[in-house]
Amino acid sequence: MNMLFRRYSLGLAAAFTAALFAAGAHAADTTPIAGGTLVWGVETDPATLNPQLNGQDKTKLLLRNTYESLLARTADGGYVPWLANEYRISDDGTTYTFTLRDGVTFTDGEKLDAAAIVTNFTRLKDAAYSGSASAGPVSRVADATALDAHTVELKLSEVYAPFLDFAASLEILSPKAFNSGQLKSGGPEIAGTGPFILKRYVKGQDIHFVKNPAYNWAPKTAAHQGPAYLDEITYRFLPESSVRTGALSSGQVDVIEGISGNDAGLFKDNPDFTYQNALNTGTPYSLFLNTTFGPTQDVKVRKALLAAVDVDAVLKSVYRGERTRAWGITSPIDSQFYDKSIEGTYGNDPKLANQLLDEAGWSGRDAAGFRVKDGKRLSVEIVQAQATVRDQRNVLLESVQAQARQSAGIDLTISYVDAGTYTDRRKSGQFGSIANSNTPTDAIDIENHYLPIDRGGSINYSRAAAPDLLAWLEAAASTLDTKERFTLYAKLQRFAILDQAYALPLYEPEDQIAAASYVKGINFRPFKQLPESAYDIWRSE
Amino acid sequence: MSVSPTVSRASGIRHLLLMAFRRPGLLAAVAFLLAVAIGTAWPQFLSAYDPIAADPLQAQLPPGAAHWFGTDQLGRDVFSRVVHGARYSILIGVSAVVIAAVVGSILGLFAGLARGVIDEAITRFLDVVSAFPDLLLALVLISFTGPGTVNLIFALGVASIPRFARVVRAQTFVIAESGYVEQAKTFGLTKAVLVLRHILPHAMAQVPILATIGLGTAIIGAAGLSFLGMGPQPPIPEWGAMLAEGRNYLRVAWWIGVWPGVAITLTVISVSVLGRHWQASFEGRRQG
Repeated sequence: MNMLFRRYSLGLAAAFTAALFAAGAHAADTTPIAGGTLVWGVETDPATLNPQLNGQDKTKLLLRNTYESLLARTADGGYVPWLANEYRISDDGTTYTFTLRDGVTFTDGEKLDAAAIVTNFTRLKDAAYSGSASAGPVSRVADATALDAHTVELKLSEVYAPFLDFAASLEILSPKAFNSGQLKSGGPEIAGTGPFILKRYVKGQDIHFVKNPAYNWAPKTAAHQGPAYLDEITYRFLPESSVRTGALSSGQVDVIEGISGNDAGLFKDNPDFTYQNALNTGTPYSLFLNTTFGPTQDVKVRKALLAAVDVDAVLKSVYRGERTRAWGITSPIDSQFYDKSIEGTYGNDPKLANQLLDEAGWSGRDAAGFRVKDGKRLSVEIVQAQATVRDQRNVLLESVQAQARQSAGIDLTISYVDAGTYTDRRKSGQFGSIANSNTPTDAIDIENHYLPIDRGGSINYSRAAAPDLLAWLEAAASTLDTKERFTLYAKLQRFAILDQAYALPLYEPEDQIAAASYVKGINFRPFKQLPESAYDIWRSE
Repeated sequence: MSVSPTVSRASGIRHLLLMAFRRPGLLAAVAFLLAVAIGTAWPQFLSAYDPIAADPLQAQLPPGAAHWFGTDQLGRDVFSRVVHGARYSILIGVSAVVIAAVVGSILGLFAGLARGVIDEAITRFLDVVSAFPDLLLALVLISFTGPGTVNLIFALGVASIPRFARVVRAQTFVIAESGYVEQAKTFGLTKAVLVLRHILPHAMAQVPILATIGLGTAIIGAAGLSFLGMGPQPPIPEWGAMLAEGRNYLRVAWWIGVWPGVAITLTVISVSVLGRHWQASFEGRRQG
């Protein structure tokens, strides 16, 4: 008994001492040290470095080092000052006024003033500059004026509820940039106001930033104020997930993002590394089924496809339980507009799938076991842009392909195409299905996918044009009542997924970051959930 | 009378044993290629599973009694996929070589016989084609035609035409000048008979050897381009494509990528051993 007690107290003393040491070490670890350089292995090489033209969410973490926006978001979806000190929305909901912060300069020496903001919004409306982005939310701006040096007024043609989300997050470029030859490709000539200055970009290799010593206007969502801690940061493009994992394990890089489900375990339970992940906002990665081309024109075929696939099993095998299943038209973490009552209401029902296909007339079978009708195979071509194949999505699609074949005799073919072919196929509508996700918040993601193509549905891959969709989306966009908007989007979700099967939602994309344990201050953006810029990052050694 | 077959069979076996003892590598290569040939013709003899049947609940199982080579990321049997994959890899390799050999031989023969401007034109054309490395040229061709099995065969075939054309052209030169052809001419044979009966067979003598050696290169080329996604599309079990799929799993499930890699390596080595042996005996060399 005595012995036991002594052992116990000894253990306690040891634990206490250890805790003391740990606390000391912890204190040293939490006082940021300025200086040093960092190398970060990233998956995606930007298609353009101009943040206004770049639709790749995976490249935002690079570009946000240099380009900033009017307001920042808080975790609960609120807005806080950034380049703008305050904003006002008129009572009729059509006029937005932003008051700019004083003393902000672009890294090319230009001043951030109302005229610069007006230039950004008016140029973005010009299709010659911004292409399809010109038909997006910016098209709602009827008039942009500088009331004085620090006040900008944006007048909309009508109430458009998601506008603040868009206007607050538009990356502001130096007015000089719009006369640069690099405007469309982006590059060192395109200055922003951010904590880092873009110095060098070598396609396929790396992108290099140095600290902006004059930086002094971080939003209060950041962990500190003043210039960034790091002197320099280089992002190396390592498209292969196994290469990134190897580069971090062997110490060639300090941080990586995009960790496959298989490799997560290497970093999760290892004290030499940290691992964190965050679900994305916006549309889940979904197979959008073309309603105007091929067999998927028949709603029964679309519904059969949704019923044929056991998404849970597929995700478990492909990602080893490291990814989250999606059910609806927007992210499960969208606290404002996601109606979770759709969960568990469809899918993994091969019997129903086969019954639907029989009803639709695809009752024959060919030698390979695929269903046929009038001698034609039930074949649906998934077109995926090579550039957006990441996060083992090729494996995911193959797994879905196998399920569709095995449980319902549907032949899903997968074509990985180059950017040019992808654009052509998209425009002409010659595809069975396009697989995609996107991250805009405040229901802009829903509009992008479900408005008619010629009415702002820039990525309406199902090419759905049911009048109900437009009516609901217009009604939701023209009210600032969040509750009413929720009801309308919930209605749309049930219609789009359950009644019409426009899309088969697969999983909610997420970002993962693994880092050597001496890298501190890595974070995800509040609300938007994408990896934050390197502003708060520092090295403890 | 009844003794002699036994004797000859016995000596045949002795010859084989002797051969196996002296050239075990050659024997192993032949044995392996026989297995590959069976896999190509009747894959169902060697494997019990459907190579494209996925079972998510059985994904990434290590090699064991039920799945000799384990299962891949979708729960497909890797052994079955490797066996069925032989068909695609061999088919692509052989077809590409056949295209190259046929077209190359015709061009070479034509250039060798016609001489003059036509020879110049063909030779310069071949120079241009062979200025590009085979794989690069195949990549360029596929970028025009798009990925797929047939396009891959075509691209690889075209890229290796010059190799055959050059050899046949040189041989044709030599043979057309040789004494027996001169002799044959004096017999008053027509040009067609002369070419078909006397020049062609000799000029072509080296083509099968070249083809065998070229087959190894073609298989590697096919696997390489498939690795890059230029060949058969998923879920077709082609070795190069399987290797590509397996590369992201090397840390957690090495068997997905290693077995197709082993299959490619052994096939190519075996084909090369056979081709070199054949070449050596043709040239009258005996390798110790």
